[in-house]
Order: sequence, then C-alpha cells, then structure tokens
Amino acid sequence: MASTTAANGAPSVEEYDLMLKLAPHLDRHMIFPLLEFSAGQLVDEESGDVKDEQKARVITQAKYSLLKNTNMTDYVANLYCQLEGLDVDNTPAEFSERRQKVFSQLETYEQETKKITELLARDDVVEKLRSDKVANLEFLKKEYDVTIEMVNALYDLGNLQYSCGNYGDASELLYRFRILSTDNDKVAYATWGRLACEILGMQWESAMEELQKVRESIDTKLANNPLAQLQHRTSLIHWALFPLFNYDKAREPLLELFFNAGYINTIQANCPWILRYLTVAVITSRGRAKNQGIQQKQMKDIVRIVKQESYEYQDPVTRFVHALCIDFDFEEAQNQLVLAEEVLRSDFFLLAHADDFVDSARHLIFESYCKIHARISLKDLSARLGLNDEDAEKWIVNLIRDTRLDAKIDYKEGTVVMNHPPSSVYQQVIERTKGGFFRTQVLSAAVASR
Amino acid sequence: MSRFFRGGDDSSSESSSDDELYSGSEEEEEINEQKAEEESEDDEVADESDEESSDSDAGDHKKGTSRFLLDVESSESEESDVEGTTKVKSAKDKRFDELEATITAIQNGQKINDWGSIANELDKLNRQVVKLQDGGKAPKIYIKCVAELEDFMNETLAKQKVTPKKMNATNARGLNAVKQRIKKGNKDYQDQIDAFRKDADGFMESDEEEAPLPKVQKVRFQPVSGEAEEEDDGGFATVGKGGRTLQFTPESIFKHLRTIMESRGKKNTDRLEQIKIMEKLLDVAVTPYQKIRVLMTLVSARFDLGSGGAASMPLEHWKAAERELAALLTLLEKERDHVVIEGAEEWDDDDKAPVLEPGQKYIKVPGSIVSYIERLDDELTRSLQSIDPHTSEYIERLTDEGSLYNIIFQGLLYYEMLRKDASLEVPQESLNRVIQRRLDHVYFKPGQVVKILEENSWKQVPSSVDSAITPRTKSNDAGQLINVLCNYLFENSDGIIRARAMLCQIYFLALHDDYYRARDMMLTSHLQENIANFDVTSQILYNRTLVQVGLCAFRKGLVYDAQNTLQEICGSGRQKELLAQGVMIQRFAQISPEQERLDKQRQLPFHMHINLELLECVYLTCSMLLEIPLLAQTGSSPDVKKRVISKTYRRMLEYHERQIFTGPPENTRDHVMQASKALAAGEWKKATTFIHSIKIWDLMPNTDEIKVMLAKQIQEEGLRTYLFTYAPFYDTLAIETLSSMFELDSRKVSAVISKMISHEELAAALDQVTETVIFRKGVELSRLQSLALTLSDKASALIETNERTLEQRTQGSTNAFNRKDGRQHGGQRGGGQRGGRGGARTGGNTQRQAGGTQFTGGALGAAVRG
Repeated sequence: MASTTAANGAPSVEEYDLMLKLAPHLDRHMIFPLLEFSAGQLVDEESGDVKDEQKARVITQAKYSLLKNTNMTDYVANLYCQLEGLDVDNTPAEFSERRQKVFSQLETYEQETKKITELLARDDVVEKLRSDKVANLEFLKKEYDVTIEMVNALYDLGNLQYSCGNYGDASELLYRFRILSTDNDKVAYATWGRLACEILGMQWESAMEELQKVRESIDTKLANNPLAQLQHRTSLIHWALFPLFNYDKAREPLLELFFNAGYINTIQANCPWILRYLTVAVITSRGRAKNQGIQQKQMKDIVRIVKQESYEYQDPVTRFVHALCIDFDFEEAQNQLVLAEEVLRSDFFLLAHADDFVDSARHLIFESYCKIHARISLKDLSARLGLNDEDAEKWIVNLIRDTRLDAKIDYKEGTVVMNHPPSSVYQQVIERTKGGFFRTQVLSAAVASR
Repeated sequence: MSRFFRGGDDSSSESSSDDELYSGSEEEEEINEQKAEEESEDDEVADESDEESSDSDAGDHKKGTSRFLLDVESSESEESDVEGTTKVKSAKDKRFDELEATITAIQNGQKINDWGSIANELDKLNRQVVKLQDGGKAPKIYIKCVAELEDFMNETLAKQKVTPKKMNATNARGLNAVKQRIKKGNKDYQDQIDAFRKDADGFMESDEEEAPLPKVQKVRFQPVSGEAEEEDDGGFATVGKGGRTLQFTPESIFKHLRTIMESRGKKNTDRLEQIKIMEKLLDVAVTPYQKIRVLMTLVSARFDLGSGGAASMPLEHWKAAERELAALLTLLEKERDHVVIEGAEEWDDDDKAPVLEPGQKYIKVPGSIVSYIERLDDELTRSLQSIDPHTSEYIERLTDEGSLYNIIFQGLLYYEMLRKDASLEVPQESLNRVIQRRLDHVYFKPGQVVKILEENSWKQVPSSVDSAITPRTKSNDAGQLINVLCNYLFENSDGIIRARAMLCQIYFLALHDDYYRARDMMLTSHLQENIANFDVTSQILYNRTLVQVGLCAFRKGLVYDAQNTLQEICGSGRQKELLAQGVMIQRFAQISPEQERLDKQRQLPFHMHINLELLECVYLTCSMLLEIPLLAQTGSSPDVKKRVISKTYRRMLEYHERQIFTGPPENTRDHVMQASKALAAGEWKKATTFIHSIKIWDLMPNTDEIKVMLAKQIQEEGLRTYLFTYAPFYDTLAIETLSSMFELDSRKVSAVISKMISHEELAAALDQVTETVIFRKGVELSRLQSLALTLSDKASALIETNERTLEQRTQGSTNAFNRKDGRQHGGQRGGGQRGGRGGARTGGNTQRQAGGTQFTGGALGAAVRG
C-alpha cells in the first residue's frame, strides 16, 4: 500500500472516498456541499491535467442531476449551460418556464399562509398561545378563523422554500407549522426539515436542538418498528456529521450519541464507514474533553468496534487504530498514519481536522510506546513519529511536560528512559475499595427514597 | 372288516370321505340352509336326523375300533395276558376305556351340535391321552376322533358363515374353545393326523393285514379333498371376481373410494387389499377428477401402512407413493381446471362426478398436497433412521432423496400456481411449509450437491415453466437459492418457520465459510434469547447451527470465537444428545418409554450428522490454545485459579496428568492432551507434531491450510506460555533469542510481548536500544497481599450486586443512582480483549460474557429436557 502511495498519491486516496456511501443517507441539499468540495479539490490540483477536467465535468454532471429535481432553477439552468457549453443567456425555455411555475407556486402558498403568518407575528396573539397545541388551534380557529388547511399550507410553503434553497425562511415556516400542527407524522417530517435547514444554514446551535428532538422521536415513536428505526438512525448519524466536525460544542453530546448502544449498533450494522469519522473524532478529542475517563472509555470502545468490524470496513484510519491498539505493530501504525493523513485531507468533513488528528495520533503512538518500552532511542522515535531529530526532541520534551510522563532524556546516549513504577498493591487495594462507601450511601438513599 | 371300516369312516368324516357321500352331504347342507332360512327348529330336526343316520354307523364303528384296538394294544403291551383281558383289566386298559367313553361323548355331542359339551369332553380327552402316550404316539382312536372333530368343526364353521342364524352363546363359546384346542393339540400329533387323513383305513389297520379297498379309497380320497378345498376357495374367489369385473367400472369408482375411506382407521381392515383395489381402480379411472380422487386416496392409504408404531413404511410402498404423488402433481399441472385445496367442500354424490359449472373456474377437490409431501419426507427420514448407516442399503435409500426433492419442487410450483389466483385463497402457510421442506433438504449440503439436486428437478419440468419465488436463473447457485428461499420465508412467515429459515441460512453460510455473515445473522436474530421457547427440533437445529458456526470460526483461525461458540455444546459432554445424533445412555435417569420413543424419532439421519469426533477435536484444540497460556499465567498465584475457560478440557488434562504411564497417543483426545503437555513445557514443535498427526483433520476442507494456521497459533501461544512460565527466572531476555526459539519474526515477537505488557499480563518493559525484554522484579505478591486484593474484589462485587438488585426492583424507572465510577466499568465492559492482571480478577467470568461474539442460549437445558 505504501509503495503505491509513494508512486501516485491520488488513486489510493480515491479508494477511500466515501462519497458514494454517504450520499444515499444524506439529503440532496447536503450532498451539494460535498460535490462542491470535490470540485474544489480538483481546482486546487489543477495543473492542466485532462483527467481532472473530465472528472470536473463528471462532478458538474452529478451536480446537475442532483439538483434537477429541486426548485433552485437558476442555478440548475446555469449548470445545464455549463454542461452543454451554452451561453448563460441562451438558457433553454424550459428552465424559465419552471422558474415561472415555482414563482407562481410560491405566490399561491404565500397567499394562503399570509393570514397565519401575520397572526403569528402579532405579539398579542402569540402571548395567548399555550403549550397545548389542540387548544391553540381551537383558539385561533375561534378568534381568527384559522383553518387546518392554512396550517398545512405553512408546511407546504416551508417545503417549497427549502427546495428553492431559502433555508432560513423554510426553517422559520416549519417552526411555525410545528407549533400549530397536531399531525404527528408531519410534525416529525417538519422536525427533520428544520434540522436540514439549520444544518445547511450553518445554525449549529439550533441544529443541535433539532437533532435532539429527532433523536427523541426516533426513540419513542419508532420503538416498535426496528427497521424504520434503523434507517432513521442511519440518516441521523449521517446528518450529524455536519455539526460534529463544524461545531466544537457539538462534539461531546454527539459522541455520546454515537456511542449510545442503539446508534453504535446502527453504525456497525448499517454504515460501518462512519467508523472513520468516529475514530477521528475520538482521537482528536483527546485532551479536549473535560472528562478524561470518558475519552478513554470511548477509545476502548472504538478499538473494540474497529476490531469487530475489521472484516467489513477498513481504511487507513481504522487500520491505524488496529495496528496501534490491537496488534501493537508500531511500524505499521506509522505507515497507516501517513496514509490516513492523506485520506483526511481529501475528506469534506475531516479536512479541517487533519493536523489535529495527526498530532493526536502521534501522542497516542508515543503513549503506548512509552508504556511498553523502558528505553527508546531518540533517533528511532523521531523516525517513528515522522519528525526530524530536533523537532522530535522538542516534541518529546513538551509531551513529557504536558502529560507528566515519568521519563527522562539521556542526551549522551541519545535515548529516552522511561520509568515504570510498578503499581503498588496497597494502591490497588485502595483503588478498588475507594468508591465503596459512597456507592453504598447512594444505594441506601435510593432504598430509603422508595 | 374292511367294509365295515369303510362305512364307519364315511359316516364320521362326512365332509371329506366319499365323493358321492360328500356331494350328498353338501346337498343336505344346502337343504339345511334353506330350511334354516325358513325355520330354525326344522333345522335342528334336520340336523338331528342327519346325525342320526350316521349315528348307527358311528356306533358300529366305535365298537369295531375299540375291539380292534384293544386287541392290538393288549397284544403289544401284555403278551402273556392276552386271554385274561376281558376279565381283568390293567390300568392302561382302564384308561383306554375311559378314553373311549369320552370319545363317544364327543361323538354324541357332535350329533346334537352341542359344542359346549364337546369342549368339555375334549379337555378331558386331552388330559387322558397324555397318560396313554406310547413313545410320543397318541392312541389311534384319539387321532381319529380329533381328526374327525376337526373336520366337523370346520364344516360347522363354514356353515356358520353362510347361515344368518346365530348360535347360542354357550355353543359359540364351546365352538371357539374347541377350535383353539384343536389347533393347539393337533400340532403335536400333526403327522399322525396327516397319516390318518391320507389313509384312514390304512392308518387304523396299520398293524393288521392290508385291506383290499383302502388303496382305491386313498386314490379317490385325495383328489376329492383337494378339489373340495380348491373349489371352496375358488368359490369365494369367483364371487369376488365376478363382483370385481362388475364393480370396477369408472362409474363405481367413487363408491369404492367411499367404502375404503369409511373403513379407514378401523380394525381388521386389510389395507394391502384396499391398495390393490385402488391400483385397479386407477387403471380404469378415466376423467382427471377420478384419477385425482383415486390417487389421493391411494397415497393416503399407503401412508396408513406406515402409521402406528415406530416402523417405517415399507420401501416399495414409499416408492409407489412417491410415483403416485408425482403423477398426481403432473396431472394437476396438466389439468389446470382441477385444483386440490384444503377446505374445499366434499363431494357427496357418489354416482356422478362434479362438472364444471359455468360460473366456476375450478373443480375443487379437498385435500392437502403439502401434507402429502411432508408425510413422504417424514417417512423417508424415518426409514433412514432405522437403517444401519454403514450399509449400502442406506446409500440406496438415500438416493430416493433426489426423487423426493423433485416432488417437493413440483409441489412448490403447484402451490405457486395456486397462489397466483387470489380467488382460491390458498393460505400462505402451505407455501411456507413447502419452501421450508425444500430448505430442509438443501441447507446442510455443500453447494455442488445442491446444484445437482436443482438441476435434476429443473430437468423434469418443461422448460416453459418457471418459478416465481426461485427463478431458474437463481437456482444454479446454492447460496443464491438458499438466500432466495430464506428471504421469502423471512418476509412471509413468522414464528418458528421464520426462525428455522434463519437458522438454516446461518448454517449454510457457516458451512460455506462465510463466518462473519453467519455470526452477524446469529447475533442479530436474537435467537439465543428465546430459543428455549421453541420446540425441540428447532432447538436441535439451533444447536447444530451453533456448532457449525463454531467450526467455521475455527477454519477461519479465530480460535477464541470458535471455543466460545462451541463451549456450550461441547462443554456439556452431551453433544450426542444436543445434536440429536444418538441417544445417550444415562445411568441414573429415568426415561419413560414414551420419552425414549420421542427421542429416537428426533434423531437425525446419518447423512446429516456433524462429525462428533472432529467436533471434539476442534473444541479440544481450541481449548488447549486458550487454556495452556492461561494455566501458565495463573500457575503461580493461587487465587486466580477460578478462571476456567473449559471445564471439560481441564478435567481431561488433570486425568491425563494423573496417569502414571502415558503411552503413545492413540485417539484424538490423547493427541491433544500430549500436545498440551508439550506446549506447557514450551516445546511448541512437539505440540505441533502431535496436533498435526491427528487423522481427523483430513475431513476438513483445506487440511493443509488449517494445519498451517494451527502451527502458527501454537507458535504464538507457545511463546506466551513460555514467557508466563519463565518470566520469574529471568532478568532480561533478548528478543532475538525468543525469535529464533519460536521461529517467529522478531517484529512479531515484540508485537506479542507488547500486547502482553499493554494488557498488564506481563510485568516487563521493552528496551528498544538493546532489543531486550526487561522483567520487573518485585511484582510477585505475597499471600497476604493477594488475599487482600481478592477481598477488595469481593467487596466491590458485593456492592455491584446490591446495586443491580435494586436496579431490577426499580426496573430502571428512575435513575435512582448512577454508577459513579464509569471508568472502572468501562474497563470491564470493554470486553473483547483479555483482561489485565487486575481486570482478570475482577472481571472473571462476567468479562467473558460481555465479549462481543458470544452465543449463550438456553438451548441446552430445554433441548435435553425435551
């Protein structure tokens, strides 16, 4: 693998492109940024390569067929022209027709929802609304002649707006719809829709809220339909990738979500490629997480899952974990790390985290290396970490300082000497009995409260 | 003298003496019959007169005989006292007199048809005759009497059959008693009686001079009696035959069928006879409807032959049933307007067949093809169960499976056809059952065999026909076929059939080395949780599947998984029972005969067996690879001994170690045990040789690969064992040395060591500069220290148990308390990897259960319990 990479970097990275696997679980609008990204990557490397141009065309074609069915008519028309080599002014008539149709549709829906939108904009009305949806609807019906059709029109308009790419408006409309509607199915759809809007509008905070709502509805409403639950969860996992890698605060709750039994099973059963993202997320979150314990646990889990799924899914990232934590083959881990970096750099979600990942991965290597070894030659270590001697030395010094590792550099010998104090038996006994009293107290309190 | 004799003979054996006389008596009989029809009293009178006429003869004859006999006997026995016989009788003579008296009484009884008294007298006679036996020969008069009596009895019986009038109870009882006595008694004197029958006069006179007539009579007598008998039999047959030629017309078929159906299940029905009749009926059947009806009744009649008791259906009938079922299916295939479905209305009119009415599309015949198919299948299994599998007979019988499979296939096509028409409302279940049967015949077979089966069944149907569920194109590949069949059942069935389909597919996948899919399916099916609720056959299938998955894991080199999976079945020591491959003889268990019979019925035919020896071999080898390093690891500290992976293996090892003298290994077990010993001592090469010399590996596909895999595993485990065992005695060890010692790559060696260090199994560290392992000192715990550790473990386990108990009671309604130290739990739940030094102690068995790939089901107990 390493040799092919050295000769020609591109193919091996392409091999690990997850685009085709991700796409079925994403919304049309969400695939678009991914395609943009792929196109962007080609531009960067543009050195007059014919092959690249072909690929660019393929991507444009993909974009076109992707958006053909949406209502972003102007953009689609542009794409069409680009594909056919037409002038922008010569857009075929069908596009303008469609455009006209969309506008008229928008018009009608807006007419229909005008009243309700106005009502909801009025403070005095909003104040009177309660948490009870049925009562709200009743109240609006009585006072202002709001019909259920009008409420549903909100939903339709939201849908249309979304299709046109007006995510902000769509989100707002769906929000209003959700306040009033009593139709559970539609409310669930609206929640999904809002999640999509927020993701596409990069409103991460509210996206997280919506995500939580979707999760709840999946857990409760679909409890007796395992297949639908699986499918919904798969989609949710894929959608959640956007906030996971773009919004730092989302990381912890999302990791918690991913490691939830139901979701981890979904990943294992239905979409093992998510493991790459999960692994990167876990590795990069070291030191960042407040609770080191959780991170360690997650790391252990990810190692276990990578091992279990190794027959089904492998890429440099998971192979890195496998080599390091299961086989303890440091050379192989190093090789895979190089590959993994490349993969990361060509991945839409992971691009921004590539450096972070490499750094954390090095830490990880060093950590387990030190754990096992008593004496390491600096030279060898620097080679292993992929750094030159001087950098490596600096890096190690920093590391020793940061992690309070019990290690010393013997400069004359050119080695790092590790000191592994054997864990004292007394310490072990103390460790094990530490929580006992507290736990017993909690237990007795729990018994007493019943 | 001779004349006189002749007369006596005639009179006493009316039925079989003289030609004229016989005919005469027959006439008389006929008269009797007629009379009896009119008046019963007349009958008696006639009888009496009849008897009376012969009475005088009989009386004469008696005198004659006795006189004669007396002479003979006396002359034989007491030659000196010939003169004095008249006056002074010896004891023997007295007995003879008594005998004679009894015989007279019997003859009198015959005359008046008093069977009650005849029976009594006969008893007496039999008792008397025992004393009078002369060198095994009974007195001649006795023989004569008995022979006559028999004839008379037969005659009476024959008469009884034709006359509607019944005998009175005592008489009937007497007659029966006589019949039985005679049958019994006559056996003893059969040759004498025969001799008498052949030549009554000659027999009686055997000691006297030859009579002039007997010869003639003999000549005359024989053909007559033969003729008479023949005629008698023939007479009945003729009636039957006459009836048959008349009866077997297409029109009367239904009547016949009805009588046959009605007699079904009753006692004393001659099923074979019925089958013969139906075979004839089938020949005359013209319309499809008739043919269908006859075929169906015929097939069920054949099945009736096999019902009851454990005996299976006779082979020729099975074959016939198979042919007829095939004919039926072909017929149904041709005649599309006739359908056989369950729940159709019975056609009550025997005289005319149902005709297609304008509004109707089909003529519906009640019946269930699927039941026939299932029955046929079951019968084959039953007969396979009863045949010794090591004979060629078994193989011959097994070839019938092909034709059976064809039937199943045809049945499937037929049901598919029926399902196409929604108006027929064929239940989904029937189709499911057929598919299940088809699946049952393919799931345990290797791909090539399935392919042949499939090809044959496709050959027999016209090429225009195609199956909707299993299209022709998809049947070529066994895997695809299984997949299609199983998917169909997943979608369209539920409960047991679905579970069985799942298990069949897993079995097939495992058999074809698709371990991961098989494992994933096994885990996602959640069958291990509820298999205990299924019936025993499904549980057996589950066990078989489990074993097959385990074997598959082994072939893949996944020793840990293989051992884990096989543990439950093989660790129990009841493999035979759990896999239904033989009944274990339990010494103390009380099994009712009923239970035993059920157990026997459940046994799988031999060709479906999983080789138990191979299974044991795999299990033991896996156990060895896991246990030996573990033993080495725990060897020094006493408190870790609890952790046992395989009890069975440990027991065997202990037993083996206790042996004073161990000879060269003979069986599989010996091989593994000696390999274990060698491995424990670090002699991995010896261990490899032992393991490789096990013959049974040859049964596995890719034997060589497996041997290579095993050698590799042994090398690694040998290294681990070596390190565990000898770590306390070394300060440092060069990796290079280890590498040459175990012939492993030094990178591999350091990887193994790193793993051990990382999992805290080994208190050591690597020195990269000198390429050595440095063992830390002072890590061995004192007794007190290790006990303290154990105590702390116990304490925390106690807390945990308490928490769990409370959790169960609250049923998680509120998170009354969260486990605060998630980290420690994480460590234990982490599973998958072998626990560290500390972890091993806390974790113990729970850790193993938390591991990723484990199938623990309740199949065990329930399957055995039945």
